[in-house]
Amino acid sequence: MSDKRHGARRWTVAVLGALILAAFGGLCYLAGSPKDAYGMIRFALPHMHRGTLRVGDDAPDARLIALDGTSRFHLRERTRQRPLVLVFGSFT
Amino acid sequence: MVKIYNDYKDHADFLTIYVREAHPTDEWQMKSNVKDDVCYAQPRNVEQRLAIANDFVKRFSYPLPFGVDDINNAANDAYAAWPERLYILDESGHIAYRGGMGPFYYNPEEARAWLAARFGPAPQTPSRCSSSPHGQ
Repeated sequence: MSDKRHGARRWTVAVLGALILAAFGGLCYLAGSPKDAYGMIRFALPHMHRGTLRVGDDAPDARLIALDGTSRFHLRERTRQRPLVLVFGSFT
Repeated sequence: MVKIYNDYKDHADFLTIYVREAHPTDEWQMKSNVKDDVCYAQPRNVEQRLAIANDFVKRFSYPLPFGVDDINNAANDAYAAWPERLYILDESGHIAYRGGMGPFYYNPEEARAWLAARFGPAPQTPSRCSSSPHGQ
């Protein structure tokens, strides 16, 4: 009985280990290398969110800084008579 | 996005919002960033973020209107924007188009399609390849 339980536990651990390895392998493939897979898990995934905004929702406002660093403006100040295309991103 | 901006800037307003770095040197740096000499640490204050944003605009002569997210990442958090994302707001300030999460679901052609459905397709710029030889 005890041997059976140990055997089942070993199998569970082996299957879980294989699944984790396969998932990491898949990430390595997606990201390009094990280092990139680690970077994705450690630095990217915690910051990637689907968000809760939906089409039709009132657009949230946020205070932004102009490139000169001295003036500030609100995102919603830019919604005027025309549609506003928002392009989020960074240099890197 | 610059091409879409040039095609539709007479019909719609555009605003680039510069958010936290995607691949800084002290986080997940990409080989392509080293190759392209785009090596910056994650900004810890707004002055550092502004400096990188200004480098970006200068390097590409980037023409779109520009705003920089504050160091508390308020705009990024409100729009779940990182690392890159597109939205279109209508004239009443409602979300009219919500792009997918970058980089895998970042698709400027969807934004173009929205603009084309609203304002018509952009006029085609004649290709140099299709013009007759020697400009005749």
